[in-house]
Amino acid sequence: MNDNPQATDYELIYVIVNHGSGSKVLHRAKKHSITGGTIYLGRGTLKNRVLEFFGIIDERKEIVVMASDTKTADEVIDILDQEFHFEKPHHGIAFTLPVCGVLGSTLYKCDEIHTERGESNTMYSLITTIVDRGKGEFVVDAATKAGAKGATIVNARGSGIHETSRVFAMEIEPEKEMVYILVKNEITEDVVSSIREELKIDEPGKGIIFVQSVNKTHGLHE
Amino acid sequence: MRVLLDKLKEVLYTVIPIAVIVVVLNFTITPLEPHLLWKFLIGTVIIVIGLSIFLLGVDIGITPIGNAIGSGLAKTNKILIVVAAGLVLGFIISAAEPDLHILARQVDMVTSGSVSKTAIVVGVSVGLGAMVALGLARIVYNISLRTVFTIMYFIVFVMGLLASPAFLAISFDSCGATTGALSVPFILALARGVSMLKKDSKASEKDSFGLVGIASIGAILGVLSMDIVSNTGELTGKLEHHSLASESIIMPFFAELPKVAFDVFIALLPILITLIIYQGISRGFSKRAFRRVIMGLLLSFVGLVLFMDGVTAGFMDVGSLVGYKVASLDSKAYILIIGALLGFVTVLAEPAVHVLMQQIEEATSGYIKRGLVGISLSIGIAVAVGLSVLRLLVPGIQLWHYLLPSYLIAIPLMYIVPELFIGIAFDSGGVASGPMTATFILAFIQGAAEAVEGASVLVDGFGMIAMVASTPLIALQILGLIYKIKTRKEA
Repeated sequence: MNDNPQATDYELIYVIVNHGSGSKVLHRAKKHSITGGTIYLGRGTLKNRVLEFFGIIDERKEIVVMASDTKTADEVIDILDQEFHFEKPHHGIAFTLPVCGVLGSTLYKCDEIHTERGESNTMYSLITTIVDRGKGEFVVDAATKAGAKGATIVNARGSGIHETSRVFAMEIEPEKEMVYILVKNEITEDVVSSIREELKIDEPGKGIIFVQSVNKTHGLHE
Repeated sequence: MRVLLDKLKEVLYTVIPIAVIVVVLNFTITPLEPHLLWKFLIGTVIIVIGLSIFLLGVDIGITPIGNAIGSGLAKTNKILIVVAAGLVLGFIISAAEPDLHILARQVDMVTSGSVSKTAIVVGVSVGLGAMVALGLARIVYNISLRTVFTIMYFIVFVMGLLASPAFLAISFDSCGATTGALSVPFILALARGVSMLKKDSKASEKDSFGLVGIASIGAILGVLSMDIVSNTGELTGKLEHHSLASESIIMPFFAELPKVAFDVFIALLPILITLIIYQGISRGFSKRAFRRVIMGLLLSFVGLVLFMDGVTAGFMDVGSLVGYKVASLDSKAYILIIGALLGFVTVLAEPAVHVLMQQIEEATSGYIKRGLVGISLSIGIAVAVGLSVLRLLVPGIQLWHYLLPSYLIAIPLMYIVPELFIGIAFDSGGVASGPMTATFILAFIQGAAEAVEGASVLVDGFGMIAMVASTPLIALQILGLIYKIKTRKEA
C-alpha cells in the first residue's frame, strides 16, 4: 500500500446518499461553484438480523460524483455535511479522491496542477472490486470478515478481452457488480487479501480489485 | 428498519388520498352508513400494510427471478428455447390470473354459454403466450417496438371490424384483466433480464419495456378470435351482483380471506414452478440467493393477499355505493368530477404501478423521475374514468368512439417520441388496469350505472378497464415528447 499518494489540486467528490436525495445533493453542490456531477444508482449493505431473515440485505442508494479543485471540494463537502448530516447514522457518506485533472470543463485545466502539496492526512482507502453479477455479496462478506463496516454495490456491465459475445442479433456484455468499500488504511491490506482469497481474484476472469487513497471523509462510523 | 418505513411511507402517500376523498364525500354529499365507512377505513389500513409487504416481496423475489430467467433464456442463444419458454410462461401466467377467470365467467354468463369460460381462458392464454414469445424474440433480434405495435394493432383493428361491438369491449377489458399484480412485475423483470445483457446501453434501456404492452395485445387477439369463431350475436343474460347484506365490520375481511388467498396462490404458482425448474437446470442462484427469492415470493404472497382482501372486503361496497349516490344527485357534474378525481388517485395505489416506476428509474438511472410518470398516469386515468362516466350519461356514445381515436393518436405518436417512452407507455396501459381499478373503480362505475337511467350495468360495466388501459398510451407518450423537446433545448 502506498501511504503517500500524490496530492493534487483536483478532487473527485463521492457522495453516497439514500435513494431520492442524489439530485438534491447535486443541486445544492451546484450552488457552491460545482459545475456538474453524475448520479448513478447503487445498493448499500445493511446489517440487521430481522431484515436479513426476510431476505432484505440492502437498500437503494444514489451515488453522486462531482469534480472540482481541492479548495472548493473541501468547502462543498462541509456544506453538504451540514445540510445532509452525514455524521448521523444512515444519512449517507461523502469522501473525496484525488484526480490528476479534469477535462471537458472550461473551469479546470490539467496543466495548472501543483503536485508538491505533500501533506497526506489520509486515513481511509477506497477498495473497488468488480466481479460477476451475484458475487457482490460474497465480496462484502469477505470484506466484513476482515473488518470492513459496510459496502455499496453498483450494477454494471463489462468484459475482459475474452468475454464479449453475441447471442442472436445482440452483442452482449456480461453483467457485473462493482463493490465500493471504504476502510481504514490499517486494515486495507487485510480486506484486500480476504477478498482476493475468497473470490479467487487471481484466476483470470474472476474479477479485479483496485485501491485508491481517500483524502477526506464524512459520515463513516466506527 | 428504515427500509420498511420508507416503503410504508411511499405506499401511504399513494393510498391516503383515496381515503381522504371518500371520507370527505362521506361528510359532504354522500353520507355512508357508519359500518361501511369503518370497513373502508380498516380496508385502507390493510391495503397499506399489504401493499408495502408486497412491494418488498417483488423487490427481493419476483424481480430477481424474472431478471435471472430472462438473462438465462437469452444466453442459451437458441431461438427455439426462447420462443418455447415465452409461449409456456405466457400461457401459464395468464391461465393462473384470477382476474381473467372472473372476466371469463362474466362472458360465459352474458353470452348464455355460447362462449364458454374455458374457451375464453384458453383463447386469451394462447394469445398471451404467443405474444410473450414474440416480444422476447423482438428484443433479441432488435426489432423496433414501432413496427411491432403498428402491425399488431393493425391486426387488432381488422379483427375488431369483424367482431361484434359488445365483444370489442370485452376483448379490450381482457387485456387489462390478464396483466395482474403478479404477472406484470414478472413480465417486466423478464424483459429487463434479456435486455440488461445488451452492450448498447441505449438499446438496453429502451428494450426493458414494451413486453407487457405486447402481451396485452395477445389477450385482445385471443378474445376477438373467440368471438369471430363462435359468432355470437347480442349479449343477453345478467351480471351477478354483490349483495351488501352484511352489517358486520370485521367479518367480511375474514370471509374473503380464503378465496383471496387461494386466488393469489394459484397466480403465484407459475412463477414458483418456473423458478424451481430454472434453478434445477441452471443453478443460477447461489444457495443464499435462492433462499432469499423464496422469501421474496412468500412476502409477495402475504402482501398481495392482504391487499386484495382489503380491496374486496373494504373498498368494493363503498365504491359502488359512492358511485350510486353521487350519480343520483341532480347535478351530473358531480359524478364526472368525482369519477375523474378517484381515477386520478387510485391508479397510484396499483401495485404494478409502483413496480413499473421503480423499473423505469433503475433502467434509466433515475433520468426519468417516478413522480412525472405517476402524474402522467394519474392524468391519463382521470380522463379515462371521466370519459367512462360520460358514456354512462350520454347514451349515444359507444366504446369505440373513444378507443378508435385514442389508438389513432397513440400509434402515430410512436413515430415522433423516443423509443424508450413507447415501451413505457404501452406497458403502463397494462399496468394501470390492476386490481384496484378492476374492483374499486369498476364498482364505482357499476354503481353509477345503476343510478343513471338508460345506462346498463352490463354494457357500460365492460369497457371502463379498456379505457384505463388505453389513455396511458397517450399520456406517457406526451411525457416522452416533452422530455424530447426539453432535452433538445438544453443540448
